[in-house]
Amino acid sequence: MTKTLIKLANIKKVFYTDEVETHALNDITLTINKGDYISISGPSGCGKSTLLSLLGLLDTSSEGLYQLAEHDVSNISKKERARIRNMEIGFIFQSFNLISDLDVEENIELPLTYRKDLSKDQRKAMVKEALEKVNMSHRSKHYPLQLSGGQQQRIAVARAIVGKPSIILADEPTGNLDSKNAEAVMELLDLLHREGATICMVTHDPRSAKRAVRNIDILDGQIVAEQNQHTSNDTAAA
Amino acid sequence: MIWQDFKYALRLLAKKPGFTVLTTLVMATGIGLSVYMFSFFNTILFKDLAFKDGESLVVISGSLNGERDESEINWLDYREIQKNVQGLTEFGGYKNTNVIVSGRDGAIRYAAILAQANIFNLTRTKPLLGRTFNAADEHIGAEQVVVIGYQLWQSQFGGDKNVIEQSMRINGKNHRVIGVMPQGYLFPRNAEVWLPLRIDPSQLIREQATGIHGLAHLEKGVSMADFNRQLNVIMQRIEKQYPQTNSGISAFIASIPGSGGAGGEPVVYTMHIVAILILLLASINVGNLLLSRALERGKETAIRLALGAPRSRLITQLLWESTIICTIGGLIGFLVMAWGLEITEPIVTTFFAEPLAFWWDFSIDSYTIKLFIGILVSTILVTGLLPAWRTTGGDFNAVLRDGTRGALGKKAGRLNRLLVISEIFISMTVLIAAAVMVQSANEQTNKDIGAETGNTLVANVLLPETNYDSVEKKVQFVKQLQTQMQSYTGINEVMIMSSLPGHYSAEQKVMLEGKEYTKGSNNSYPRANYIATMPGDLAKLGVELRQGRYFSSSDNRDNKQTALVSESFAERHFASESAIGKRFRLVAKETGDVQWITIVGVVEHTIQGNRDGSAASVPSIFRPYTQAPRSRITIAIQLTADNSHVIKLLRKALQGIDSGLASYRIETYQASNDRITAPVVFISSLTALFAIAGVVLAASGIYGVMSNTINQRTQEIGVKRALGADERVIITEFLLSAVKLLLWGGIPGILAGGFMGFAMAQMFGTGMSALVTIIVVMVSIVVISVLISTYLPTKNALKLEPSQALHYE
Repeated sequence: MTKTLIKLANIKKVFYTDEVETHALNDITLTINKGDYISISGPSGCGKSTLLSLLGLLDTSSEGLYQLAEHDVSNISKKERARIRNMEIGFIFQSFNLISDLDVEENIELPLTYRKDLSKDQRKAMVKEALEKVNMSHRSKHYPLQLSGGQQQRIAVARAIVGKPSIILADEPTGNLDSKNAEAVMELLDLLHREGATICMVTHDPRSAKRAVRNIDILDGQIVAEQNQHTSNDTAAA
Repeated sequence: MIWQDFKYALRLLAKKPGFTVLTTLVMATGIGLSVYMFSFFNTILFKDLAFKDGESLVVISGSLNGERDESEINWLDYREIQKNVQGLTEFGGYKNTNVIVSGRDGAIRYAAILAQANIFNLTRTKPLLGRTFNAADEHIGAEQVVVIGYQLWQSQFGGDKNVIEQSMRINGKNHRVIGVMPQGYLFPRNAEVWLPLRIDPSQLIREQATGIHGLAHLEKGVSMADFNRQLNVIMQRIEKQYPQTNSGISAFIASIPGSGGAGGEPVVYTMHIVAILILLLASINVGNLLLSRALERGKETAIRLALGAPRSRLITQLLWESTIICTIGGLIGFLVMAWGLEITEPIVTTFFAEPLAFWWDFSIDSYTIKLFIGILVSTILVTGLLPAWRTTGGDFNAVLRDGTRGALGKKAGRLNRLLVISEIFISMTVLIAAAVMVQSANEQTNKDIGAETGNTLVANVLLPETNYDSVEKKVQFVKQLQTQMQSYTGINEVMIMSSLPGHYSAEQKVMLEGKEYTKGSNNSYPRANYIATMPGDLAKLGVELRQGRYFSSSDNRDNKQTALVSESFAERHFASESAIGKRFRLVAKETGDVQWITIVGVVEHTIQGNRDGSAASVPSIFRPYTQAPRSRITIAIQLTADNSHVIKLLRKALQGIDSGLASYRIETYQASNDRITAPVVFISSLTALFAIAGVVLAASGIYGVMSNTINQRTQEIGVKRALGADERVIITEFLLSAVKLLLWGGIPGILAGGFMGFAMAQMFGTGMSALVTIIVVMVSIVVISVLISTYLPTKNALKLEPSQALHYE
């Protein structure tokens, strides 16, 4: 039986700049189940990255309900949001966002250092496991700038999974990579999905989108279509 | 092409007027303050005298227990030096004095010197009229002759060209004018009258020999430091031979301007270091602001490089900005500095009762201009080259590919950390050193001199030996003056002393009864201020009695010789017993008889002269004026009427007693004391100004760099927040990095500032607890500035949602 991980209901996001009001997201309702592999696509400025930011608690909605693991997280404190991001969510960014002053191991360990329940040895073990999973153990003492783009993104993936989050959110994970490296990163995500990870990915690339099980299309801040690769049922947004 | 780059730089600066004004003012402050400080000290201490061979002219002065001052050296020591040293030629000696010239405008006091004949040759200066001294003029019993200065010639003789051979009444005696010196000639400091120095060759006993300032030319190739080592060896040998008179006494040479700063080296060096640090601080701030701007334009630079622009061209282009900012800022600073120098002279004039030294001309000279140009070029290079080199040396391909992210980030981060560390170091050093200076000035100004100074007018009178050649005459004059003045309405009390508490006093060496001062004993004669006072005057001035009694009318010449001593004297020499009844006698006898002087009372310690360090703790001996009269007296008048009325009464009284006498330096007692601390107050005010500039520059600079650094790390903050770091974690992390920078810059800063502060504290007698308090307070100011400079920009960066921070450019 599938278990609901995330439930969005009537989510709206409005940006105010000077006197201009921009509706980035308009009445989004979406459910993400545990083990889902979702791609979100759409043209530039359609609101897909905003949606990912809301899902990742990097931003707050203007209206609507957000439930994560059956808890309402729409109006929680900044501190609580930070805790949830740390424990439940793993991020992969288009531009990797590794910290150049930290080496590979330290970059991966970073989210674990914000937890109080882990000893140093436990952290080291988790980092080692994540490094092995992305096949980058041999580069553990390198600095980000000493790595290729593909390698940096694999490190970013390791950082996203090291804390064993409930969901991995990826924002254009192959956007800065060549096709060969992009393929390698996508295979890594596929592998993580097969192992049970829940993944939600924003992408422009149709080939990447096809790897996901559920494909959601967004236009002008609204979900306009959703396709499930397994059932191949197109669902028009309400 | 250069013109094109210049116009482009101007356009860029015009686009951001706030930035341009800020950086220009920062540079104006840095350049203006530092050039002023260097120029000020060069004028008073370092410039060569404007005579032929002026650069090799040196003065030989005495030092006591390693402390250099401008004191005279014993005539016999001077002779020994003259005989034994190598490296000095053309010796000439002199003594400072004051003379009363009676002329058509009444009696006027002038600064004078008693000079050996050679003194004029040392300055290679010929008289405007007549001749200078020759060897015959130095003989005791020779005709009284005088060489006069240009100003005196104008005022007393109306510039009469036939002045030579005319007679002039000096100190009540006729002198034949033999020469007039050219305008502006006041050698060796501010003399207007030169009299021949006549030393009795029979002065063969050190205890009786007069003191003298030596002058000579340093031979080419001999350094002052080397010569002083040689001089030290000679003086040590003399000290071994004559421990009673020469214990702790040495001598040193310095340039004539430089001798004025003798003993004040820690202050002079500190001020110079502070000036350099302020300039460095200003340069770092402007350099950092230019670097931030250059980094902002990193993409533009990368595009230019991609289009084939040579690196040198880009560096030149970026250098134009710093050239324009530093030049405009420098010129503003230069103008303000010129104004500062102009108002310095009238301010400094108030510090001295005498005219200023003749070389103290506070104006823009060639040294100032050369220094300004040197500093300007250095600041252009320091502020411009680093940003130019840094921004044109990065991986331009990475910049083009990734926007502002890329290889520059990490290097810029390192540079920013280095800048903050430098600012912390400099600000702590400057603040600690300046605060010690200000504290010491404050202590000196508020030091208890041992007397009440309120509502009192003081004036000096010089009694010429010609007319007042006996004790009786002097005592009679003083008694008559005191009685006369006290009979006037508007006057409460009239006190007459050779030197009032707070004022400089002559010192005497004494022999204490019961102590051995033979050659073998190695005991040196104790020194003390030696002050004559009329009975009852110490009590009237508020100098409290601690033990025994004050002087009374019975302490006169016919009875036993008596003295009061300060409690510092009693503690130093009779620590375990009462000083009352103890006896001493003077080393240099005032009369032919050997007379024992009995201590009849102990009064509170009075400070005579400098308020700092060991000078303030010199003990004092007071003698009844009736037993130990002096030629130079100070009258203190407690008044109920206004000053001008009392001055008229004083002049009237003097005229009534002796029309040949002049009163001089008439001012309030408080003003006369303030004048003594005025130089240190002035220097400390200057230092405080530097410190305020330093704090503003450092705080704004640190805030600028930190804010810039944190701004550049906004994305990183976004990443960390995305990974689960909450605000507290981020703020703590940034504050901890700031603490690391504080440790890197602060520890050397505390050491450097503490070292300079300690040197000054030693010199001024500032206590260790005050020094530690100053260090703690100043360090706290810098720590708080750095933490605020970190907290506020971090808090600002945290105002962005993590999603915005992640995409922050």
